[in-house]
Amino acid sequence: MYFIYSVKRFVCRQLLVFFLAFLGGSAYVVAQSANQDSTVTGGVVDTDGGQVPAGGSQPVALDPAKVEAGKTLFNNNCTACHALSDEVLVGPGLKGINERRPQTWLINWIRNSQKVIQSGDKYAVDLFNKFNKTVMPAYDFSDEQIVSILQYIDQQNTGGGANTAAGGATDGQAVPSGGGASVTPGEGGGGISSQYFTIIIGALLVILLLILLVLVLIVSLLGKFLSERKDLPEEDRELVNQRIDVKKVVNSNAFKGGVALIFLLIVGKVAVDSLFNIGISQGYAPKQPIAYSHKLHAGQYQIDCSYCHTTVYKAKSASIPSANICMNCHNAIQTSSPEIKKIYDAIENDRPIEWVRVHNLPDFAYFNHSQHTNVGGIECQNCHGEIQTMEVVQQVSPLTMGWCIDCHRKTQVNTEGNDYYDKLLALHNSKEPLKVANIGGLECSKCHY
Amino acid sequence: MHFQLRYKVVFAWVIGLGLFTACGKNYDDPGTEFAPNMYHPVAYEPYVQIKNEEDAGKRVVAEGEPSDYESANSYNPYGMSMRLPVKGTIPRRNFQTVYGEGTNAVTDLMIYDIHRDSIEVAERTLKNPVPATEEVLAEGKVLYSRYCQHCHGENGKGDGLVGKAYKGVPNYSTGNYKTMNSGHIYHVITHGKGRMWPHGSQINPSERWKIVHYVHTLQQLD
Repeated sequence: MYFIYSVKRFVCRQLLVFFLAFLGGSAYVVAQSANQDSTVTGGVVDTDGGQVPAGGSQPVALDPAKVEAGKTLFNNNCTACHALSDEVLVGPGLKGINERRPQTWLINWIRNSQKVIQSGDKYAVDLFNKFNKTVMPAYDFSDEQIVSILQYIDQQNTGGGANTAAGGATDGQAVPSGGGASVTPGEGGGGISSQYFTIIIGALLVILLLILLVLVLIVSLLGKFLSERKDLPEEDRELVNQRIDVKKVVNSNAFKGGVALIFLLIVGKVAVDSLFNIGISQGYAPKQPIAYSHKLHAGQYQIDCSYCHTTVYKAKSASIPSANICMNCHNAIQTSSPEIKKIYDAIENDRPIEWVRVHNLPDFAYFNHSQHTNVGGIECQNCHGEIQTMEVVQQVSPLTMGWCIDCHRKTQVNTEGNDYYDKLLALHNSKEPLKVANIGGLECSKCHY
Repeated sequence: MHFQLRYKVVFAWVIGLGLFTACGKNYDDPGTEFAPNMYHPVAYEPYVQIKNEEDAGKRVVAEGEPSDYESANSYNPYGMSMRLPVKGTIPRRNFQTVYGEGTNAVTDLMIYDIHRDSIEVAERTLKNPVPATEEVLAEGKVLYSRYCQHCHGENGKGDGLVGKAYKGVPNYSTGNYKTMNSGHIYHVITHGKGRMWPHGSQINPSERWKIVHYVHTLQQLD
């Protein structure tokens, strides 16, 4: 009878080995596909980068050298206030400027716009008033230079048909689309490989189930074969024909006790866990009054944290930006979005935006941002997690005392180029690195007073 | 019978603990606070805003009694704790006034009451009180990367990621921008110009002057 047992054992082992082998194999496949993804991404970016300048400098029926000179002049002097399209930036958009105004007028205007206005030219005065009397600076260009700029504008807006659509949009627009391309495939690649992963896991499950089925069949076949043998001793026959009486098992004290014990252990663990979670808001991610995305601002656009949280390097609190900081960009960007309209609404009604506080240390613990960011040189992400990937801010760290202390024990003090630490270093055992704990990072009164 | 009683006790415990732990994860719920008046203190906190007394009373133990913490601020609009500084006042403690050491020391009060439209006055009169040392330039670079770079680009070419979307960001090292003086740059940071909005509330005067030094180095780039 040991035969059957050994077969069973063998089968079980094989199952395990199969499973591990498949898992290893799938991991390898996933890694391979990820590698391929990344190389593909590199290729896309390269070709894209190569195409952008080519589209931008397509000369059409105009003197290419002149247009090129005009492009340089335009980009260096005009783009701050004027767009090539009809979009109004600081001044009017320059699409169709050659049809709107005669060349001689344009030359005079660009050389000295104030002179044209003072001469009483009606169009010039109206234009000046229309744009809130913003003075266009005088440019000391030659006639030829101004004509080349005008030719460049003309070429970008009319010449080249399909090319204009791609290259004609200001360089500013053409480049970010390339930048976007370099981001999206990377994310797409991640999506594809994780998709592969689920498919592989699913396939593995199916295969394992099939194997299980086959093994059960084998076992039952072997059992049948053995039971048909007449020369089996009685003991073995009993073993082969063994039937599990479910009712008996369920009713047995051992089973009841076991189930109760397991249940109690699970519930007990959960209970203890949740008791230990009192006062810990880790994972707290409240809905904010405005759906502000750190992923977009800090991640995609790489705006520095301190641009909005202005006091993070100077003060105890990192500060929550007031609406005027939002308006530095959102006076022009996404002005029709309903979320942005909430900022306008708050400003018009002189009302605060009621952000929900995420990280809240109790008052018996003192924490100072500047001490950590400015003096300690700690990155924001160290405590706040990968904030640049968060759509909704979540409290990543537990903010418990153990968590603080742990970091104070592990973190080395950066003493380089700082005279303040000279004497401390001299006193400190120089064989071991100077940790925060060594300079009073574990003193009770550092944080509790 | 003894066994049954014991089972009953165990069962009651299991049910009780099960109920206690049955609450699922709710992202809008900060969880239980073990010393709530340490999280919501009596004193007004800068960012705390309790709009009315009813809200403040929510956390009180006995019903009907006034809250002993999280008091509503009945004096300020919208129950805010923070108020705007009095118009025309300058918080002096944030402002460094003396630069350099010994005979090179420059005293500068940094109170520039130049109207935002009078950029010519700033160009003519303002002088950078911060000496252009290597250290200051390094600080200026850091500050530039924090407050300017996303629009103006790493090298001041106007090609920052935000700048491309915002449009109309100039290149420091070309045309008229190449020769703009310290007073002009300082004034633009403070009050804004053209499409750029004022950044005076985010960057204090000494930081602005350090950025001005760094921008001058960017103007010299090709």
